Amino acid sequence: MTKPNRWGWIASLVALTATALVLFFLLSITTGNRAVYERHYAWLFWVNVVVAVLLVLVILAAVVRLQVRVRGGRFGSRLLLRLVGVFAFVGVVPGVLIYTVSYQFVSRSIESWFDVKVESALDAGLNLGRDTIEAQVKELGAKTLLAAERLGDAGAQVPPLALERLREQLSARDVAIVGTGGQILLAAGSASNSLTPDRPAPALLRQARSSRVASLLEGLDEDGSVGASLARVRAMALIPSNNFALGEQDRFLLVTQMLPPRLTANALAVQAAYREYQQRALAREGLRRMYIGTLTLALILAVFGALLLAVALGNQLAQPLLMLAEGVRQVAQGDLTPKPVFASQDELGGLTRSFADMTAQLSEARTLVQRSVDQLDSARANLQTILDNLTAGVIVFDRHENIDTVNPGATRILRLPMSAYRGRRLDEVPGLQGFANAVGARFESQAASREAGERDQWQDAFELQTAPDREVLTLLVRGAAMPQDARLLVFDDISDVVSAQRAQAWSEVARRLAHEIKNPLTPIQLSAERIAHRLSPKLEGADQAMLARSVDTIVNQVQAMKQLVNEFRDYARLPAARLEALDLNALVGEVLALYATAQEAGQLRAECEPGLPLIAGDATQLRQVIHNLVQNALDAVAERPDGLVRVHTEAARNEQGELRAVRLLVIDNGPGFSDKVLKRAFEPYVTTKSKGTGLGLAVVKKIADEHGARLRVANLGAAGVAAREGEPASAGAARGAQVSLSFSNFPPADRHAAASAVDVARALT
Amino acid sequence: MLAVLALVWPRLGHAESVELSTFSVVRGEEGVLLSFSANFELPRSVEDALIRGVPLYFEAEASLFQSRWYWRDKRIAHATRSWRLTYQPLTRMYRVSTGGLNQNFETLAEALDSLRRSSRWKLAEPGQVEDDARHYVEFSFRLDTTLLPRPMQIGIGGEAAWSLSVERTQRLN
Repeated sequence: MTKPNRWGWIASLVALTATALVLFFLLSITTGNRAVYERHYAWLFWVNVVVAVLLVLVILAAVVRLQVRVRGGRFGSRLLLRLVGVFAFVGVVPGVLIYTVSYQFVSRSIESWFDVKVESALDAGLNLGRDTIEAQVKELGAKTLLAAERLGDAGAQVPPLALERLREQLSARDVAIVGTGGQILLAAGSASNSLTPDRPAPALLRQARSSRVASLLEGLDEDGSVGASLARVRAMALIPSNNFALGEQDRFLLVTQMLPPRLTANALAVQAAYREYQQRALAREGLRRMYIGTLTLALILAVFGALLLAVALGNQLAQPLLMLAEGVRQVAQGDLTPKPVFASQDELGGLTRSFADMTAQLSEARTLVQRSVDQLDSARANLQTILDNLTAGVIVFDRHENIDTVNPGATRILRLPMSAYRGRRLDEVPGLQGFANAVGARFESQAASREAGERDQWQDAFELQTAPDREVLTLLVRGAAMPQDARLLVFDDISDVVSAQRAQAWSEVARRLAHEIKNPLTPIQLSAERIAHRLSPKLEGADQAMLARSVDTIVNQVQAMKQLVNEFRDYARLPAARLEALDLNALVGEVLALYATAQEAGQLRAECEPGLPLIAGDATQLRQVIHNLVQNALDAVAERPDGLVRVHTEAARNEQGELRAVRLLVIDNGPGFSDKVLKRAFEPYVTTKSKGTGLGLAVVKKIADEHGARLRVANLGAAGVAAREGEPASAGAARGAQVSLSFSNFPPADRHAAASAVDVARALT
Repeated sequence: MLAVLALVWPRLGHAESVELSTFSVVRGEEGVLLSFSANFELPRSVEDALIRGVPLYFEAEASLFQSRWYWRDKRIAHATRSWRLTYQPLTRMYRVSTGGLNQNFETLAEALDSLRRSSRWKLAEPGQVEDDARHYVEFSFRLDTTLLPRPMQIGIGGEAAWSLSVERTQRLN
C-alpha cells in the first residue's frame, strides 16, 4: 500500500467515524429519546470535538503537503489541486446550505415554542386552580366557624349524634372536637380505616388558637396521584363557651373535608405543565446553544469530511492519470522500461494497462529495429570485407552517375587512385574518359533496350590503356542496374586469361602448321639435291655455280624451315613428362658441354652448388629447357663484348634449414626485357630478338608447368642485384635479365638421400 | 496532599459564595461525628429558577481519610446527604425532601434553614478509626447542578451565580 493510499484510508476512516457519531447524534434527536440523548450528550460532544480537531489537523497536513507540491512544481499536483477543489466544492457547498437553513430553522422554532399567550394561559390556569382551592379552604373555614358557634350555643356537652349530623351537613369526611393541645375529644367520621381522625397539624392549631378560626390545605403533594387522593382541607374553629368556669379548657371544632379528586388532579396537571414550561423557558438558551452547537459541529465534521474525502478521492482519481503522465514523460525521454499498472478494473486501470502494453511493444519494436540495424551493419561490414578482398574491381555509381563505392580491387586493376574520386564522375578520372563513355553508353543502351524477362545486366570486354606508357589492359566488364537507379560495375583484368588463350591457340596453329609443312619439306630437299646431283656435271662455269648456290639455298632454307617446324612441333606436341630422379648439376654440365666455344670465350660460366638434392624431372625436356635458356641468354649478350652468361644452381632453404626448392638461374648482363615483353614473355611469338621463332620461353614455360616448377623472369637493377619479385623494374636502367626456375618437386624416396648428400658436401668443404 | 489537591483543583474557579460558619469533626465514643452550618443566600437567578418550578439539589459530602506515607491515602468512610428543594406554585409552599422525609415551609428562609445545618452527622463507627493513625476529613457542601435538566446545565454554562459550593479539609484530632 503506497503512502498516499494509506493517508486516504486513514482519512476515510476518520470521516466514517465522525459521520457515524453525527448520525447517532441526529438519530437521538429525531427519535426524541431525550433521556438517551441528554445522558450521552456531553461525551458525544467531546468525542465530536476531538474528531473535528483530528480532521482539521489531517486536512491541514494534507493542504500543506499539496501546497508544497504545487509550489515545488511537482508533477501532477495541479491536477490533484483542481480535483480536490472540485470535490471540496461539491462537498462543502450543500453542507453550508443545509447548515444555514437548519440554523435558521432551529433558532426560529425554539423561539416559537415560547409564546407569551401560552405562558399567560398557564399562569392563569395555575392561578385558577390556586384560587379555587383557596376558596374551598376559606369556605370550609367559614362553615366551620359557623358550626362551632352553633355548637357553643347548644351547650357545653355535645352529643355525638349532633356531631354526626354536623358532619353530614358539612359533607365532611370527619368532624371532631379537639382540646387545646390538639387531642381528640370526640370524633365522628366516615373514615373506616381509622377510628379517630389525625391530630391537627401544629400550624393549624397555633393559628386557630390565635385567631379563633383557621383552615389549611393538606396532602396536596406535587408528585404522584397518591397525594392527590389524600388532598384534604382541614378547618379548625374555637367553640365559644357560655359558662366561664375556671379550668375549663377551650374546645375546637376540627373539620376535615376531602378535595374533589378531579379538581386536585387538574390543578396538579396545570402545575406540572407550568413547571415544565418554566423549566424549558429557563433552559431555552441552553437548548438553543445545544442544537446550534450540534449543528455547527455536524457542519464542521461534514465539511472536513468532505474535504478529506475530496483529497482522498482526488488522489484516487489522479493516481492512474499521474502514473500515465509520468510514463508518457519517461517514454518521451526514451525510457522504455516496463511501466507500472494501476490495479483496478475500470477504464483508468485499463488505460494504464494498455499504456504499459504499448510501451512494451514499443520497446520490443525498438529492440527489433536495433537488432536489424546491427544485422545490417554486420552485413555491410561483411560486404565491405568481401569487396575489399575481391580481386575483381567493383565500382558503384549513384543515380547521378557519381562514384559511390570503389573497392581496392578496382584501384589495383586500373592502377589509378579510384577512392580519391569518390563522389565524382568516372570521366573526371584522368585516363578513363573513353572507358567512362563506353561504359555509360553501354548502360544507356541496356536501359533503353531492355526486354521483358531479360536480366538487367550486361557483360563486355574492353581494352583500356590508362596511360600512354602503360600496357593495354583487357577488362571483362559486367554492368548491372541496382535499386534507386544506382549502377554496379564489376570488372576483371583478364589480360592473363587472354594471354593463356593465345598460347592455347598458338599451340593449335603450330601443331597444324608443323603437320602440314613438314611433309613436303623432305621431298623438296631431296628433289633439290637430286637436281644438283644430276645437273651439276652437265653444267659448267657460272651455271654450275649458280645451280650449286641455288640448291644450297633451297637446302638451307628447307633445313631452316624444318627446324622451325620442329620447334613448333616441340611446342605444340610436347610429350608428357616422365619424371625420374635427376641430378640437375649433371644435366647442366651435360648441356654446357655443347657450348664449349662460348665457355672458352669466357661468355658462359657455370656456377653449380655441389651436393644438390635430386629432383624429379624428365631429362630430355629439362635438357631442352636449359638449352633454350642458355641460347636465349647468349643471344642477348651476343652484341656485347663483355657479355657474360652465368648458369647458377642452388638449393633454397627456409629458416629452419629445411629444403624448399632447387633453383636454376640463368643470368645475363644483356639489355634485359622490356616491360611489354616481361608481361607476355611466355606467349609464343613474343621476342626481343631479330631472329628466332619466339617460341623458346613459351616452351620453357610449358615444360616448367609440366614439372610443377615455378618460372620467373626479371630484369636486374642498376646495381646488378636481382630485383625483388613483384617490384617493377625501372625501365631504362636494366643491367641484365634473370630467368629462374625453382623445382619443388622431389622424387618420393629421395629427400633423405638428398639431405645427407648436402651434409656430405658441407663436410667436404 | 495530592488527593486534596485533586479534589480541590477542579473547584478553584468557582466563587466561594458559601461560608461555613461552624464546622467541627469530633471523634467520640459513638464514632466520628460531624457538625456544620453553612451560611449562604440563594442568588437572584437561582431563586428565580426555583420559583419557576426548577427543583434545586444541595449535597453535603464528607470523606474520612487515613494518611499513608507509602501509598495513596486510604478512604475509610464516605457519606453524603442531599436535599431537594422545590417550590409548589399551587400552594405557594416550599418543600424540602431529604431521604424519605418531606417538609413543607411557608417561606424560602425557613426552607433554607432546614438544610443549612446538620449536627452530629455520623461519619464512621468507632472501630473504623485507628488510634495511632493520622486522619483527616474532606467536606464539601454545594448546589448540585449536575442534577438539573441537561439543557439548563448547558444554558447556565459557567455562570458564577450557580456555583454555590464550599469545601473544607480538617485534620481529625
